[in-house]
Amino acid sequence: MHTLAAVALAGTAILSTASLAQEQVNLTWQMWGDEKDTPLFQSIADLVTAEYPNIKVTPQFSGWTDYWTRLPVLASSGQIADLVAMQSMRMPSFYSVLEPLDPFIAADKFDKSVFESSIISGLSHEGVQYALPYDVGPWLVFYNRDKFAEAGLAEPKPDWSFADFQAAAEKLTSGDNYGYAVQAFDFIAEPVALGAEYFNDANQFDLTNPGYAAAVGKLVDLVAVAKASPVFASGAGAATASGRFASGNAAMYIDGPWSLISTQGAVNFKMGVAPLPRGEGPSRFITAGSGWGISAASQHKDEAYKALKVLTGPKAAEILASAGRALPGRLAEQKFWYDVAAKDVSGTRETLQYSFEHSTPFRLNESWNEFENLITQYIPLALNGDNTTDAVLADIQSQLP
Amino acid sequence: MEDSAVATGAPAVLPRRRSGRHDGRTAFLFLLPSLLGVLLFLVLPIIASLALSFTNWKLLGKPAFVGVQNYVRLFTADPQFWTVLRNTLFFTVEYLVLNIVISVGLATWIASLKRGQRWFRVVFFLPTFTPGIAVAIVWMLIFAPGGFFDFIMKSLSLGVPNLLTDQTLAMQAVIIVSLWANVGYNTVLFNAALDMVPPSYLEAAKIDGASAWDRFWKIRLPLISPTLFFGTVMTAITSLQVFDQIYVMTRGGPGNATATLGYAIYQRGFQNFQMGYASSIAWVMFALIMALTALQFWLQRKWVHYDN
Repeated sequence: MHTLAAVALAGTAILSTASLAQEQVNLTWQMWGDEKDTPLFQSIADLVTAEYPNIKVTPQFSGWTDYWTRLPVLASSGQIADLVAMQSMRMPSFYSVLEPLDPFIAADKFDKSVFESSIISGLSHEGVQYALPYDVGPWLVFYNRDKFAEAGLAEPKPDWSFADFQAAAEKLTSGDNYGYAVQAFDFIAEPVALGAEYFNDANQFDLTNPGYAAAVGKLVDLVAVAKASPVFASGAGAATASGRFASGNAAMYIDGPWSLISTQGAVNFKMGVAPLPRGEGPSRFITAGSGWGISAASQHKDEAYKALKVLTGPKAAEILASAGRALPGRLAEQKFWYDVAAKDVSGTRETLQYSFEHSTPFRLNESWNEFENLITQYIPLALNGDNTTDAVLADIQSQLP
Repeated sequence: MEDSAVATGAPAVLPRRRSGRHDGRTAFLFLLPSLLGVLLFLVLPIIASLALSFTNWKLLGKPAFVGVQNYVRLFTADPQFWTVLRNTLFFTVEYLVLNIVISVGLATWIASLKRGQRWFRVVFFLPTFTPGIAVAIVWMLIFAPGGFFDFIMKSLSLGVPNLLTDQTLAMQAVIIVSLWANVGYNTVLFNAALDMVPPSYLEAAKIDGASAWDRFWKIRLPLISPTLFFGTVMTAITSLQVFDQIYVMTRGGPGNATATLGYAIYQRGFQNFQMGYASSIAWVMFALIMALTALQFWLQRKWVHYDN
């Protein structure tokens, strides 16, 4: 009788241990995107369950702009998801909502070198890794090859200079058709490519330094003096430049690899990509990208780390790259993106290779988004001639810490 | 029951008082859910925002008490505040005057129609059904550089610069869109008030030789003045809080030409993560709304005519 009871007790204990080991964990995954992205991201989430049957990941989507309003609100009200999407440029503002990954990476002996180094750096803050990347990319010039051919212009070389770019933009401008469509972010990416800095050595904003002012002035002149680009309105965002390019109204505009698949699908002409034009010195480019981190408030951090490794793993990267959704942060899987998203776009592989070889750290601080918003709001005054470049930059500088 | 109460000499009012207390308790129970909602979602956030305005809360992290530092910064150190305040008052005054004049004009015109009154009421009221953000997006695309508005101006050979990139015209674009979206509400309101004016007054005035203008200015307008006052106060309050159109169409630009208090609250709170500072702007906006509303109530004694 005693033996029977002991066996029963042992059996119960084994069963309860087994059930504890297989305790179902439901993780939420906060991400920007729209409804049409759901099947793609759900297929990646399913990879987690396939590898860890007790972990289920549920994606939650918000629109791009809403995402950055919702994230701090959800974080401060304790409703943030277990897995959180993060863009490298916003890391200095949001790293505090994420769990440092270094202890997990060290315990797991996880090899970060499988990722492109600039985005691994972009998703860290003060040397601490807060997210693992899913995509990466430098800003590029998207150009209309048909327009270049019609104008008798040679297609851009990887090390083309701003003078080459300006000459092409002016030659491609005719009547209501523009050689180039400028947008707000160009005033950040292109001055860096021209060798300028918007920070001082202490990582504080220094927009009135002669180098940055001169570089911004070159772009402003292209719009205000040469009329090679239309003015953008502060509320129009980036949509107008891509729209003008897709409709054939502008022969060049600046965007990233993350837009290549959608832009390619929207145009009915041959398209090419080139690096941003350099200044007098050597080429240098900033790269950005996004990844996923673990919320500092998550109750299931170990499971979230397991999920994170799958979501940023080789299979997930292959799926995203094959869908053209992202140039993977994982180097080995980038070939899938080149074969799909970039296959009909001239110069993609050489341009990206050249850009990564000449990448420079993307300098950010916690007020960087404020800077980007002020550029969008104030630069149109210089573009339409209402104010000088120096006065506009001084005005923006006065509002930054 | 009543006979027995009289017979025992009990005061006749007592049962009624008990019944009143019972009714009051029942009414309170029915009102309790709404009361809780008001306390939780209105009173508490208002108190919280006042408390936050004395902190440096950055949305992420814990707030620290900074006293009146936010208010001092707002009035003495913020390079944008006075421009933002001026833009808000400019928008309010121009939009309010145009809204009232246009809606009174439209309401009077609709009231004079012999046929199609209902149809026109619906037509003008329709935009108020449309979400403000959707309206602003469509108009932003119309006014964008190279958009439909520029095409029309160019086709007519009118040298009008692009509205959204011009410092002086950007606010006018916001006002045009706001009028398009909202003038229908006051139109329907004033039209209903005009329909209530007794026709006998107008007939008598007509017989006495009053012109159409006299009948409008001296009879119709005074008789609808309480409705006009209501419409004016409500329109002023909503225009002081303008946000949607500016958020979508201009983001406060170009420069700070269209930055208003409502947009500044969003910008400081949700873009720059200065929630404590944004709360102080919200309380300045509240004080401004209260002051202007009080002024309107004071001024109404001079022009609003009530039946009693």
